[in-house]
Amino acid sequence: MRRHKGWVKELQIEPSGMVSARIACPPRAVPQPGRYLLASWGEAILATPLFLEASFEDGFLAAPPAPVGWDPGTRLELRGPRGNGFSLPADTRRLVLAALGDTVSRLLPVADAALRQEMAVVLFSDAMLPSLPSAMEASPMTALPDALSWADFLVLDLPLEQVSRLGDRLEITGDAVLPCPGQALVLASMPCAGLAGCGVCALRTRRGWKLACEDGPVFPLQDLLDNP
Amino acid sequence: MKYALTFDRPLMNSAGSLGFAPPRSSGVDLEQFGAFVTNPVSLKRRTPAGGTRCIAFAGGFLLHTGLPNPGLNAVLKRHAERWARQTLPVWVHVLANHVAELSQMVRLLEGREGVAGLEVGLAADTDPAAAQAFTQAASGELPVIVRLPLERSVELAIAVLESGAAAVSLGPPRGALLDAGGESVSGRLYGPAIFPLALQAVSRLAEAGLPVIAAGGVYSSRDAEAMLVAGALAVQLDSVLWRGWQP
Repeated sequence: MRRHKGWVKELQIEPSGMVSARIACPPRAVPQPGRYLLASWGEAILATPLFLEASFEDGFLAAPPAPVGWDPGTRLELRGPRGNGFSLPADTRRLVLAALGDTVSRLLPVADAALRQEMAVVLFSDAMLPSLPSAMEASPMTALPDALSWADFLVLDLPLEQVSRLGDRLEITGDAVLPCPGQALVLASMPCAGLAGCGVCALRTRRGWKLACEDGPVFPLQDLLDNP
Repeated sequence: MKYALTFDRPLMNSAGSLGFAPPRSSGVDLEQFGAFVTNPVSLKRRTPAGGTRCIAFAGGFLLHTGLPNPGLNAVLKRHAERWARQTLPVWVHVLANHVAELSQMVRLLEGREGVAGLEVGLAADTDPAAAQAFTQAASGELPVIVRLPLERSVELAIAVLESGAAAVSLGPPRGALLDAGGESVSGRLYGPAIFPLALQAVSRLAEAGLPVIAAGGVYSSRDAEAMLVAGALAVQLDSVLWRGWQP
C-alpha cells in the first residue's frame, strides 16, 4: 500500500453543518471518486477513510465529516488510495445520483465528471445541499422511484445499515428488476481497512458476504438489491 | 509445559489483526516480527455478526464481529501453501466450541508445512477445568499457546500451563457500550485504554514465573518495551497495525 505525507490545509463548514477538510498531498494520493485514502495522525487510534469531494492541484477536499481533533496544519500519514471506485459507462446520457445518508459530498465529483461529459444529471437527497452546478437538478428522495425509468445509470451513496432496506427505498421489491444499471458506495466503519478482514464492514450481497473495505466500497447495485 | 518458546524477534501480530496469511503489501514491516498469528479459524464457517459491529470510546473501540471466517478447510485450501512458503513462523489461531471440535482441528493442522504452532482462543466464560481440557486436546506435535481472556488470565494461566501449553497470550477484554440507537452491544475492547490492564496482567504472570506473550493496547515502541521489561516473552500488536505501526 502506497504511503504519502499530507496535512490539513483548511477546514470548511458545509451548509449541513458538517465539516469537510482540504488536504494538501501529492497528486497520486488523491482518491478517485468512490475510492478512499486512509489518514492517520498524532494520537489517532484508528485511521480514517477519506473520500473525494473535489480535487485541486495540490490535493483534495475530503468529504465530511472531518475527524474531531483536526486543525489546519495537522500532519497526516496517508495510505492508499484503496478500494473500488465509481465507473460510469461511456454511453450514459441520463444519470441519477442519490444520497441516502446525511451528505451528498461523495457524489459531487461523480456529478462533475458527468456534467463535463454533457450528461443530464439529477440528484436526489434529503440532506442539506451545498451550492450545486446550475446544470444539475436536485429533488427530495421521495421522487427517486419515479426517476428510475428516466435514468440510464444510477449512482447511490448509502450507509451500510440501509443496504437491507434498499429495495424498499427504490420501490424495487419481489421479482421486480432495476430499470437501469447502477453502482452504490456503501459507507461503513472500516477499522482494519482490508488488512485483517475483521468483518466490521461486511455486507450480504447476491455474491455472498463481501467487505466494503476490500470488495467495495462501490458495488454493482444489482448485487445489493438481490441481497438474499 | 512441553516446549520452551523463543522468538527471533519479540514482536508479532495478534490473531485477527492481519488476516490468515502474512500480507504482501500492507505497509506493515514484517521484518520486525518473530512470528505471524492467523485470524481466528473455526472448524465450520462463521458469518459476520449482525447489528452494530464497531463503537468508538475515549481511548479505544469495541468490536463485535462474530469472528467471521470461512472454516478450517477453506482456510487451508486458500492459505496453507503460503504458510509453507513463509520464512516467518506461522501460528494458527484456533477457535473451538468444544474439545472434540478442537481435536479434529488439531489433526488437520499437525504435519502442515509452515505451521509453527497453535494459539488456542478461550471464550471469556471458560472455567479452569474446561481450559485444561482444551489445552490437553490441542497438545500434540505442535507447541500450543493458549490465549486467555485478559480479565481472567491470572486465574487460568496455571491450569493451562500445567496441561501442556508452552505459553499464554492475552486476549482483548470484553465490555459493553450503547450504539447510536441506544442498544447495548457487547464485544472485544481495543486501543490504548487497555494498556494499563494488560501491563498489570503481564507483570503478575511474569512475577509468578509464567511464560506470557503480552497483548493489549500496545500503541508505541515504549509500550512494547514496557511489556518486555515486565517479563513478557514477546509482544503482540493488534489495532495499532490498522492505524499504521511506526516503531
